[in-house]
Amino acid sequence: MRRLDPRSAALSVARGTAQGAIFGLVIGTTLAGTLGLPAWVVPLLAPGGAVVAGGLALARYYRFRYEIAGDTLRVESGVFARQSREIPLGRIQNVDTTQGALNRVLGLAVVAFETAGGSATEATLDAVAPSEADRLRRIVQRYGEDAEQDTEPTDDGVVEGPDEGVTAAETDAVASERGAESAEQLFAFGYRDLLTYALVSVRPAALVFLLVGLPLGIDVALGVLRFNLGLLGSDASVAVTLLEAIGPPRLVALAALSLVQVTIAALAVSVVLTLVEYYDFTLVREGDDLRYERGLVRRYSGTIPLSKVQTVTVRENVLMRRFGFATLVVETAGYSGGNQGSTQGVAVPLAPRETVYDLARDIEPFEDVSVRRPPKRARRRYAARFAIVATALTGVAYALDTRLLSSGYWWLALGLFALVPPAAHLRWRHRGYALTENVFVARSGFWQRTTSVVPYYRIQTVFVGRSPFQRRRRLATLTADTASTASLLGGSANAHDIDEDTASDLRDTLRERLYQDLFRRRADAASTDE
Amino acid sequence: MESLHPRVRLLWVGRTAVTGLVLAGLLVLAGRFVGLLSLPLELVAAGWVALVGLGAVHAVFAHRIWRFSLDDDALFLVRGVVTRTDTSVPYVRVQHVDTTRGPVERSVGLASVVVYTAGTRGADITIPGLRPERATELRERLRDLAGESEATDAV
Repeated sequence: MRRLDPRSAALSVARGTAQGAIFGLVIGTTLAGTLGLPAWVVPLLAPGGAVVAGGLALARYYRFRYEIAGDTLRVESGVFARQSREIPLGRIQNVDTTQGALNRVLGLAVVAFETAGGSATEATLDAVAPSEADRLRRIVQRYGEDAEQDTEPTDDGVVEGPDEGVTAAETDAVASERGAESAEQLFAFGYRDLLTYALVSVRPAALVFLLVGLPLGIDVALGVLRFNLGLLGSDASVAVTLLEAIGPPRLVALAALSLVQVTIAALAVSVVLTLVEYYDFTLVREGDDLRYERGLVRRYSGTIPLSKVQTVTVRENVLMRRFGFATLVVETAGYSGGNQGSTQGVAVPLAPRETVYDLARDIEPFEDVSVRRPPKRARRRYAARFAIVATALTGVAYALDTRLLSSGYWWLALGLFALVPPAAHLRWRHRGYALTENVFVARSGFWQRTTSVVPYYRIQTVFVGRSPFQRRRRLATLTADTASTASLLGGSANAHDIDEDTASDLRDTLRERLYQDLFRRRADAASTDE
Repeated sequence: MESLHPRVRLLWVGRTAVTGLVLAGLLVLAGRFVGLLSLPLELVAAGWVALVGLGAVHAVFAHRIWRFSLDDDALFLVRGVVTRTDTSVPYVRVQHVDTTRGPVERSVGLASVVVYTAGTRGADITIPGLRPERATELRERLRDLAGESEATDAV
């Protein structure tokens, strides 16, 4: 059994001590009176908290042991509630390494092992030396390859303890040799590519960041607001009575101006976030694994075993489509409930569309897809839906205008109806599905077009849903569910608004092909066995 | 296609009634102690009756629509009053099968079968309103079917 790196113990003890001290201090200063503690206890609270929390961190370090023996990863942990966990190597989906800024200075890395199922990461080693992280990753990777070739996983060299340094070194040599011979760089970001990506990938999360950060930058915001007011030729003082002081047209102008500024700020935040996250991105293929590395402050690296890929998704937003770029996302059954948000599984952040499709085909072979669009009556449905939205917005505008602004310009909102036909058409145009020999392809979304490629043998259940509005037009939405985690975030393969009968046929076809594909794969596996 | 036991309607209405009772209780408590909004007791009672009535109508329709069948290669279900959903669960994908009997279900003498898959959206699919014998039989049948279609690939 191995322990974590001693430097990580120092780090966590220091962290624990500091936290305990602060906690004790807070208790001592704020709650001493209410709790009725005797006076001599109060000054002892901070050092006491520090000792307890630091001691606990140290105990946790000494209790935490791990090893890879045979074909399982064993982790023992816990001070009061002791836990010992065994994870079969074959069940590990992803191995991810993260290096925060502090860890990078100290030369440490946090390794996380993900398996399918479960609501959290199954095993986290916080933290080990990068060389050890590499060794663990290679063992898991090598095990996967051996299993793929159906040879018995050899025990020599995989079984390791601290006393078997020689074998460990040998494994390292073998593993790195293997890695070196088969590592092939698939993709790397230059500065220009990175900047392009930062500009064309718009993150809605940036707006949230901005709003959360608003209280901190309130002076800046007020300053900008004052500047805006000055620009509009008004008394440059921000007050609640402002709404009455300046006329409605100016108020609208102010709102529009502020909106533009907020958008620009959000874009700037988005660009910075992307730059920090994807700095120095590289994607390497090592045997049957994809391996990526990225990050400016915090370095992320992870492996995606190709044999465990559930779905391959191509994402293109409006801007990317305009310039012929696309993003490739590879999903396994690892990861729990989107703990890394939009960035998880991103294999290629930005590349020309052909390159992305070539790579996707490399991962999961499929032919050229010609996507079949939903029937024309689906477009009428979208038009009806957008018309309802436009009506509602016009109503809101009317109410606002008559009650508050009384500018008499509410009918401008009727202009929204002009947008209804093109919006309906665009939504319809960017939806569709396709069946090829090996995969089911579903596409949807205008602003962010998502094309999901699901191999038949990865399909779990098939849903056909019909809302009352869809039933009126004999339409249905078909969902092919897989074990991939993307579907939790609404990224499952949906064929929206297809004909009802087509949907039931499609359901039967998918079911059939799932079995055919599975049997074929089983036969293949059996023949390579002999 | 097999439909559910008619008594399941009673179960659903009962469930709505209990939920409604809890909601009504919370409303009354909120009115009395927090003073958020104090509705007259009659209004709350009327609301509860309306809710149960709606629940009864929903239950009747839900029972009429609910169907399931064990096809050659998949478990097939049709359900949903507002949004109709057809689900097919290929037997290969069944991870494990449970029969469950909650206290309310036991009181009307019914049981449910829950089928688990590794998928993310339909990870567990419940067939409610079965006679206990039928539930056990169904569970065993599903287990056998899942075993027969055992596939090579694991997640």
